[in-house]
Amino acid sequence: MRWSIVALLLFAFCAAAERPAVADTFFPYKVHTEILPNGLKVLLIPMDSPGLVAYYSVVRTGSRDEVEPGKTGFAHFFEHIMFRGTLKYPGGVYDSIVTSLGADANAFTDDDITAFHLNFAAEDLEKVIDIESDRFQHLHYELPDFQTEAGAIYGEYRKNVTDPFEVLSEKVRDVAFDVHTYKHTTMGFERDIKAMPEGFEYSRSFFRRFYRPENVVLLVVGDIAIDKTMDLIRKYYGGWEKGYAPSNVPPEPPQKGERTAEVVYQGKTLPIIDIAYKGEAFHPASRTFAAALLMGDLAFGVTSDLYKKLYIQDQRVDALEASIPSQRDMPLFEIYARVKKEEDVGAVRDDIYATIAGFQKTPVDAKRLADAKKRRRYGFLMGLDTPDRVASRLAYIIAVTGGVDAIDTLYGELDKVTPDDIMTAAKSFFTPENRTVVVLKGTAK
Amino acid sequence: MKTSTKSLLLSIALCVPVLTMGEGSVNTDDAVLLPVRKDPTICFRIWFKVGSQNDPKGKEGLAEVTAAMISDASTRNNSYEQILDKLYPLAAGYDAEASVEMTAVSGRVHKDNLADYYPLLIDAITAPAFAQTDLDRIKSGILSTLENTLRYSSDEELGKAVLYNDLFAGTPYGHITSGTVAGVSSITLDDVKAFYTKYFTRENLVIGLGGGYDESLLAKLRGDLGRLPAGKPEEVPPPVPAAFEGWKATIVEKDAPATAISMGFPIDILRGTKDWYALEIANSWLGEHRNSSSHLYQVIRERRGLNYGDYSYIENFPHGGMRSVPPQNVSRRKQIFEIWIRPVPEETGHFALRAALREFAKLTEHGMTAEDFTITRDFLKKYVLHYAPTTMERLGYALDDRFYGIEGSHLERFRSMMQTLTLADVNAAIAKYWKKGTMDIAIVTKDAKGMRDALVNDTPSPISYKNPKPASILAEDKEIAVFPVKIKPENVKVVPVTAMFK
Repeated sequence: MRWSIVALLLFAFCAAAERPAVADTFFPYKVHTEILPNGLKVLLIPMDSPGLVAYYSVVRTGSRDEVEPGKTGFAHFFEHIMFRGTLKYPGGVYDSIVTSLGADANAFTDDDITAFHLNFAAEDLEKVIDIESDRFQHLHYELPDFQTEAGAIYGEYRKNVTDPFEVLSEKVRDVAFDVHTYKHTTMGFERDIKAMPEGFEYSRSFFRRFYRPENVVLLVVGDIAIDKTMDLIRKYYGGWEKGYAPSNVPPEPPQKGERTAEVVYQGKTLPIIDIAYKGEAFHPASRTFAAALLMGDLAFGVTSDLYKKLYIQDQRVDALEASIPSQRDMPLFEIYARVKKEEDVGAVRDDIYATIAGFQKTPVDAKRLADAKKRRRYGFLMGLDTPDRVASRLAYIIAVTGGVDAIDTLYGELDKVTPDDIMTAAKSFFTPENRTVVVLKGTAK
Repeated sequence: MKTSTKSLLLSIALCVPVLTMGEGSVNTDDAVLLPVRKDPTICFRIWFKVGSQNDPKGKEGLAEVTAAMISDASTRNNSYEQILDKLYPLAAGYDAEASVEMTAVSGRVHKDNLADYYPLLIDAITAPAFAQTDLDRIKSGILSTLENTLRYSSDEELGKAVLYNDLFAGTPYGHITSGTVAGVSSITLDDVKAFYTKYFTRENLVIGLGGGYDESLLAKLRGDLGRLPAGKPEEVPPPVPAAFEGWKATIVEKDAPATAISMGFPIDILRGTKDWYALEIANSWLGEHRNSSSHLYQVIRERRGLNYGDYSYIENFPHGGMRSVPPQNVSRRKQIFEIWIRPVPEETGHFALRAALREFAKLTEHGMTAEDFTITRDFLKKYVLHYAPTTMERLGYALDDRFYGIEGSHLERFRSMMQTLTLADVNAAIAKYWKKGTMDIAIVTKDAKGMRDALVNDTPSPISYKNPKPASILAEDKEIAVFPVKIKPENVKVVPVTAMFK
């Protein structure tokens, strides 16, 4: 965070900083940052979007925080509970206010984040701040509502479980991690979802521990005036009491050898192989992470030799993709392939290994590297065209790092990545002792 | 040429000004233009008047295959690999998506990269290579979607496909865009070439161009697209679905973890007319897509916790699980009213079906209340602002306006109708277009025969909960459990999932 000393002197009781939008920064909008005395961080990004505002409450808690046995899936469950209202605005009243505003409102949960978002007309800003600040401070729900919502969660699980990739993801995490909470998906284990109706008291502690100002970042983007918006936020959130109690997420010990497993999908599917390597926690200044991100594109993306061979020429797979996520703790760097014939799974796996070995030994072509960097930059910038798109692209990085400065740092690092850095990343992460390989097959032929 | 210079000057902002939403597009004989000078990107949507309704008999899926042979395959100047290499640093691409009546080739690129991008887009449209290896890959992908994904991976999409196929059986709308296994399997390069030559002609397209483009780009586009084959294909008459009264059901039997339900009937109304906006108010109240304001959502999910959501539609809404607002360029001349019940536990399937049908019956019988009308009208007035925040989406709407023959803009009319429509207008539209006691029901479930017997015998479907419920809900449950939905045996089909999309 680049604090401005002038701004710090100006605001006696809260820290504020204007992050300039100047030519040497990559992120194109000016960001106003301010921290209230209770620790609530506020990021305001005015942009040319006449009449429209996106309002994101980013809770820096997700399924990563579910450390207690039997409680997987609770962060997501709690996201649902947040719509059950308060004494001032009970669930039905909250819903009817959102309806009367014609707001596009929803929420999502992932490993490191729970985010609540609304898009609405600028004239309704105060009403939105009122209802959002109210539920974050005064959530109130009774046992029957809580238990009914557990049914909706189980419904969501049933909807998802027909997707082979969901089934595969559950298995890969379970096999790859021993103690870290990334062992389970955000949806949670089915047995824990079944038991959710019994977790009423636990849910209250979840609110007390995590829904606190020091653990939340407010992000408001669009047609807003900074002074007026800050005044409203101070008025409505100023009384929110501190009390964040971070969870004690157990660190995952280093993996000491390859793990393999198979998983059965109830139905018909092409086999899918997932090769997952333990990566590194996101740090925007890590050259190795930036290099791994680009390697994912170069080795397995649509212009890679392997994609051309397996998807376009030999047509042995109908999907090939790498995922290099930015997360708070050590995530999995994964490579998936959906293989057309079961007997080809081994050969496809070996082709993936050979590709990695090639990246470990041979420097990547400089033009291809330059193309990959250009694609990342344009891809990111072209997505920033509405308040909601700006906010949704920032939400994850805010949850992981606490702010948006990481974007400039990361893109700065990406620019500096050399062919040697890519070789280093290939050798650091993509090793046999660091990998978990899971193959999913269907029951029906 | 009907060009409004006023509109050209109007839209200067990157995003849509609230009060001028939907304005700014210019119609000419062959183009729909949406200049947005401050937008650093340029949006293309080249609309060909062709879709799955034009698939020849026995070649179901040909429109989708041909579209993919344009967007995901080689051209005469570049192999597919070379195209991917060239598009890659631009962070741009193009797509060709076939719906029932429209195929739109769309793409978006940053101004900086236009010079490198444009020739690739034009080649894709005017100079496809039609290589056998591309066809093999594309067919294999669509067949896998039919045989694996649709039959097994998404019971919700399966239910919707079953409903549409059944309602429009025997008409050009009577198969999903991906076609059938037999149809796609039989498609040859000659089929693709003939289809392309017949429908991807210079007289059968409308140019959609938006964003920060230069005036000269339109002239260039016109010149380049002028290289397409000539010809104006004959228009397919609008489909006439078989009339039916009462209930009918198709039950797909599969080893499903839960029961998915979609149901509906054809309606004779299209956007643009006053009645459509009136009916949309009633529909939004009954089942606004992915929104807790949906009444069905309140009854089935919020009060009873049976599933993840429950919605209704008066326009086709493909890929509903992945979008929160309506898509563009899936316009069609015949729409259906549709209710979507997301998967419920199997033992509550019959109950959930009854609950939805009962709410629909109550609405058709009594109409909306004044209070619900006011809330929903005010909601829609603002909610419609979220339908098209980007240039690409607005351009899509402008093309759809052209499809439906709407002068001005649908979204603008939508907002102005919310100022003038009355409760009487809405209730009159309900009475005119929604039929109580008529519904085609598609159910995906494990115990298909059990469900069939329950529907034929109108067996009561009591529900019990593991957790306590308020007395008012338990009392209502008793009424729902015996709400009459008796279906004649000859109107219930049970189909194994392996027989779908054959």
